[in-house]
Amino acid sequence: MDLETALSRPVPLDRCEGLLREALLRRRAELQKSWKHFISAEYLASLGSLAPEVGSFLSGQDPIRDWRFVANFTWMNCEATFLDSLRAIALGGKVEYQPSNTSPSRLLTADLNKLSSSERLQALCDRYRCPLNIGLPSESDVAEELLRQLMVPDRAKLEAGEEIDADFVLLKLNLVGIRAMITRELRLVDALNYFYELPKRSLTRLQTSPRLLALWLCIYAQLLCAPDW
Amino acid sequence: MRVAIIAGSISGGIRIAKEIENLSGVDLFVVVCNVEKRSPLLRWSREILSALKTFRWQTLATKAFSYARQSRLIILHRPLDDASSIERLRALQCDVGLHAANVIYRESTISVFRLGILNAHIGILPKYRGRCVAEWSVLQGDPTGVTVFFIDSGIDTGARIVLREFFPSEGWRSVPALKNMLFRCDARLYRKALEALMRPGVRFESNDASKGQRYYVMSSLFTKAVNKILAASLMTSG
Repeated sequence: MDLETALSRPVPLDRCEGLLREALLRRRAELQKSWKHFISAEYLASLGSLAPEVGSFLSGQDPIRDWRFVANFTWMNCEATFLDSLRAIALGGKVEYQPSNTSPSRLLTADLNKLSSSERLQALCDRYRCPLNIGLPSESDVAEELLRQLMVPDRAKLEAGEEIDADFVLLKLNLVGIRAMITRELRLVDALNYFYELPKRSLTRLQTSPRLLALWLCIYAQLLCAPDW
Repeated sequence: MRVAIIAGSISGGIRIAKEIENLSGVDLFVVVCNVEKRSPLLRWSREILSALKTFRWQTLATKAFSYARQSRLIILHRPLDDASSIERLRALQCDVGLHAANVIYRESTISVFRLGILNAHIGILPKYRGRCVAEWSVLQGDPTGVTVFFIDSGIDTGARIVLREFFPSEGWRSVPALKNMLFRCDARLYRKALEALMRPGVRFESNDASKGQRYYVMSSLFTKAVNKILAASLMTSG
């Protein structure tokens, strides 16, 4: 069969997109009701002032911010810390950033993987102090490697009940989620779908890092509502 | 041309062998690997179960016996990349291997075959590498099909594509049904690929990894959406 015949689809592409969007919105409604299953009251309380904001964001239907127009082709510098910027992005707030005249040298994934888990975490937090930078085209190799790590070794470890570095896994989920908000790439949002669907016993192991877990859920909620997949 | 089918079970190997054995100029072997290092009891129980599932177990047993008698059925007890297994494969002096087992190949195994090991990948390369590529193709409105290419130690990155065939996803009501159809094309497409390789001046299409992406296991949310797309296409096509 030739390509032309194979491409003649009885289901138009917009119908496929409609079915996809329907599925994502259904998941958003589910998350709205069930997010408390992911973060126990005790861990939620440990978030301090962040807890009510996260609660209201996940339970409500806040307007969704389109980050694609914020992240352009220029590297951005943030005055705020990585966690503060991540919080602003996750809750659809305002991120204070300055376009930079220079961008850091390319981060080679081979170099990143040579570092210890805590060093990698630090290296990523430093590089993506303005987390929107993960959405830049120059960061595609890093994003691809983070996606691979999530979907191959991290997923396997979580499913097998093996020891994981919850901070690092959640950092990757947050960064991959931010890139998905900017690039609208289905593989990236599906990584978040997959982790959301993991058995509860696997996900409760991520509660040891409640702040990153809560922010990841908020980013996921934004992705599910994005209008144009 | 000396060809070895690298299979995960005797029935899997014989199924492909039946399609290829009458191909002129092909000297065929069936190599059965111990996938997942199963114990002998588990391994042979699975073999028997898999043979019974074919509903033609008598034909299968006769075929297997015939291959064994001619020393063309090789049962590996050690993992495929173990030195003893590689030595047994090397002794066969094969030109081509046909992938039919759920194993990952190391360079040491691939290099035993003069031309390499062919894989019938159920996605269109170079665009769709990795896992669940049939469902990803449907979800993204791309054609589905099978690509036969020579593997390397990467994930669907082997540079030489021998052939590619498109099979429409319409008419299949679910992801498992679609994938089963695509997987079942392997024997026929391996035959076509071997025919192509035996023609003088065979040319390969390049599998340029930069023109595609690696895909991963799909979430149940998206898999359900793909099932709905397939069901909708079934209704549309009548």
